[in-house]
Amino acid sequence: MKLIDKYIYEVTRRLPEKNRDDIALELKSTIEDMLPNEYTEEEIKQTLTKLGSPAELAASYKDKPNYLIGPNLYDTYIGTIKIVVPWAIVIALLVHIVENVLLISVEEALLSSIINAITVTTVNLVSVVFQVLFWITLGFVIVERTDGLNITQKKAWTPDDLKNVKIIPKDKKIPLSDIIFGIIGMTFFTIIYFYADRLVGVYQTADNGNLTFVLPIFNQDTLIFYAPIIIFLIILQYAMLIYKFKIRNWTTKIAAVNLVVNLLGTIVFIFIANNPHLLNEAFIPYMADTLQITSSKVELFTERIIWISVAIFIVTNILDVFNGFRKAKY
Amino acid sequence: MSSLLESFTTELRRGTLTLAVLSQLGTPQYGYSLVQRLELAGIVIEQSTLYPLLRRLEKQELVTSSWDTTESRPRKYYVISEYGIEIFEQLKNEWVAMTLELDSLFKGDAENETN
Repeated sequence: MKLIDKYIYEVTRRLPEKNRDDIALELKSTIEDMLPNEYTEEEIKQTLTKLGSPAELAASYKDKPNYLIGPNLYDTYIGTIKIVVPWAIVIALLVHIVENVLLISVEEALLSSIINAITVTTVNLVSVVFQVLFWITLGFVIVERTDGLNITQKKAWTPDDLKNVKIIPKDKKIPLSDIIFGIIGMTFFTIIYFYADRLVGVYQTADNGNLTFVLPIFNQDTLIFYAPIIIFLIILQYAMLIYKFKIRNWTTKIAAVNLVVNLLGTIVFIFIANNPHLLNEAFIPYMADTLQITSSKVELFTERIIWISVAIFIVTNILDVFNGFRKAKY
Repeated sequence: MSSLLESFTTELRRGTLTLAVLSQLGTPQYGYSLVQRLELAGIVIEQSTLYPLLRRLEKQELVTSSWDTTESRPRKYYVISEYGIEIFEQLKNEWVAMTLELDSLFKGDAENETN
């Protein structure tokens, strides 16, 4: 007798309250029906085995689906994640970069505070991704269970729906990673350019193991002199990246814009590289002193590095422009 | 029986269960009496499937239920509703048509093989 009550309890405790009593009563009379008038514990056990696991029996009484997100919503769910997560990462990254730039302390060497910031940012990015995944999932679970908005009721498909479909050949596609790396790259460039006097320079390891900033390589006044055109180019680059994200495939138009942006960038780069006041005045004497060579040798050496960078910059830009047109042509 | 065959068989049976249960509810039946009737006809049904199925049919208004407390132990009786009869007749026709279709497919197979 006790076994039967325990079995019924195991089933009904998993059910909604309003059905419990009725199902319990029905189960009890059913189990008694299955048993002979006088029964042993062994016979009870056999009967209960026939009915199967209480958890499974309770599950089959439930009308609610025993999955979180069903086939009707699954595609939309994955689609939403694919759109939202990359943007959440980009936005969180930008917020962190801006925040960290504002919080840079004067005492600490910039490089070590950057290493710190990268650690904190990485941890936070992981938490942002989990947060976003959690809330999207929760939202979809709620829709799955309520469906008050009838989102799952799809309109019947007709061949006319194909009118809005654009076939993007694989070779023409602009991968999302290109755009994200573009945005991250531009952001790093912006920070490094405008903080060059505190970032780009000669570092020394102090006795306590911390990095200390000795002197900057560039003359910040010269860099700031070009600020208006640099800011203009940065905005242009961002605008192009956003446009690329909207279109997602190479067109002759994007390739042409890409040509203009790259051309402007190259011209400005050559101008800056050519500026006689580009380098910090103290840099060459310092290097000569440290390396124990003549100043003219250091000068020759830095000049070469600058021109090699210019050459690399030109070649990569030409390749990028060429690539854009080639992909647009397909 | 291989597990694959088993899952196909379960799938095949699942659709026919409603039909089998509705066919027996012309007169009021309680859970266990229904199991016995079905078993007598050779239809094996998991009890853990049958009772929830009866409740679902009741919710869908295909059957109605009532408690009989006059006997030594209370029993819940289920009987087919008018709406249930309507649905059952249509479903039965579907079943007959379907078996005929499949039969002719199978016969076609047999003829092809002998040719």
